[in-house]
Amino acid sequence: MPDKPLLPQGQELAAPPSFRWVAVSLAVAFLLTLLPWPDGWRWLVPDFTLMALLYWHIHAPRLAPLGAAFGFGLMTDAVRGVLMGQHAVAYTLTAFLAIYLRRRLENFSAPARAVQLAPLFLFKEMLVLALGWLFGGHAADWRFLLAGIVAALLWLPLAMLFDRLAGRPWSESAPSRAVK
Amino acid sequence: MSRTPQAPMFVREMGLPVRLTLYLVFGLGLMVADQRLDALSLLRSSMMALLHPMQAQLARPFQFFGEASDFFVIHGDLMADNRKLSQERDALLQSMQSWRSLELENTRLRDLLALPPRPEVASLAAEIIRTQPDPFARRVVVNRGEKDGVLPGRPVVDPHGLVGQVTRVYPTSSEVTLLVSKEQSAPVMNARNGLRLIVSGVGSDDLLEVRYLDMQADLKAGDLLATSGIDGVYPAGIPVARVLRLEMPSHTPFARAVCAPLAQTGQYQHVLILQPRPGLAAPVPPVPAAPSPEQRDAG
Repeated sequence: MPDKPLLPQGQELAAPPSFRWVAVSLAVAFLLTLLPWPDGWRWLVPDFTLMALLYWHIHAPRLAPLGAAFGFGLMTDAVRGVLMGQHAVAYTLTAFLAIYLRRRLENFSAPARAVQLAPLFLFKEMLVLALGWLFGGHAADWRFLLAGIVAALLWLPLAMLFDRLAGRPWSESAPSRAVK
Repeated sequence: MSRTPQAPMFVREMGLPVRLTLYLVFGLGLMVADQRLDALSLLRSSMMALLHPMQAQLARPFQFFGEASDFFVIHGDLMADNRKLSQERDALLQSMQSWRSLELENTRLRDLLALPPRPEVASLAAEIIRTQPDPFARRVVVNRGEKDGVLPGRPVVDPHGLVGQVTRVYPTSSEVTLLVSKEQSAPVMNARNGLRLIVSGVGSDDLLEVRYLDMQADLKAGDLLATSGIDGVYPAGIPVARVLRLEMPSHTPFARAVCAPLAQTGQYQHVLILQPRPGLAAPVPPVPAAPSPEQRDAG
């Protein structure tokens, strides 16, 4: 098995993900969180916006800058009616970690990447709870941490879908044995 | 900056950690401004004015499917419902008659005693459009807002009892914090003997509690608790909860009463927002007897 090529190969080189694609997918993910989810599952609904953001932060960080995470965080704050800045700070920190770790994350196969991302999703949920607790002084409902685990479980299908849409061959995400 | 997926050869921008720090400082500043100074309500309501129509459009297909399943009902069911409803209506009309005469009598007696008239309230029907996934409080969004004259602090009721309080008002929607959410409370009166208490949420959907209860307090399982009206937020006489059991203290000097809320927010799609009737003065400016979230946040 040869080393991972330095440049993207095949269709991804010919038609790299465009800014329009990134914007549309982020908007769709944000709209998904606005759907009227059933009340009984409210702590299980994953943060689709963050999932889409992290995908682009890992695969095309030039197209999804930190500011995108901050802006979508602010919109989430407004929609959820929590303190302005709570999700914005949590998204920005998580996005920073994802961009910082992206070279390492790229070397994993897609399922292994989901495992690597689970702590990040949990970190975001914890950060939101901790910030709300620090600023509001209310006791949090810790069941909402489950949303982070659900997000990690749903990461794989979402990544497959985005890979397909972005024209990145699924085989590229197969385990690379270059890293020993 | 050109939008290319690959990094340009010569980068002329701030490094990632610097950008992160700037965003974090800005975000934390926003949080402080929102919490301490309450300065961002304009930003929030303008963002909601943009986002709320989108949410309403997204919810529409789901509403349609809900209504479509209602369409296929059996004629017999409708007949039975109709019969039951007209019986209920007759019973209600009868009790209304005695209520009218009692109200007249009450007004006359209050006149005799030179008591101020009871504040009258008008109600505004609202539909619950969604629940907020908030880990800190139980909140729902209703489809009435600033344009309908809703103001923060208004009490919200359903056919069975007190639901909660309007805490945030957007242009076309508003947010109601339910009484069952943690740290919400309402001043109540035991309907049996007039004992005044404060009932608070515990964070569960079907439990309320009376904390710091005197061990000798005359409160029994089955007692009905209704708002006492002394806080000026909730008008008097709205049923709130029924006492389930009393828990005697084991190592504290106070007992605790566990109650079941009477409002059934999970079941009903519609609630009433109570507004002071136009023409009459507003009841009393809100007194922090029942700390509303804004007041708590501000303090």
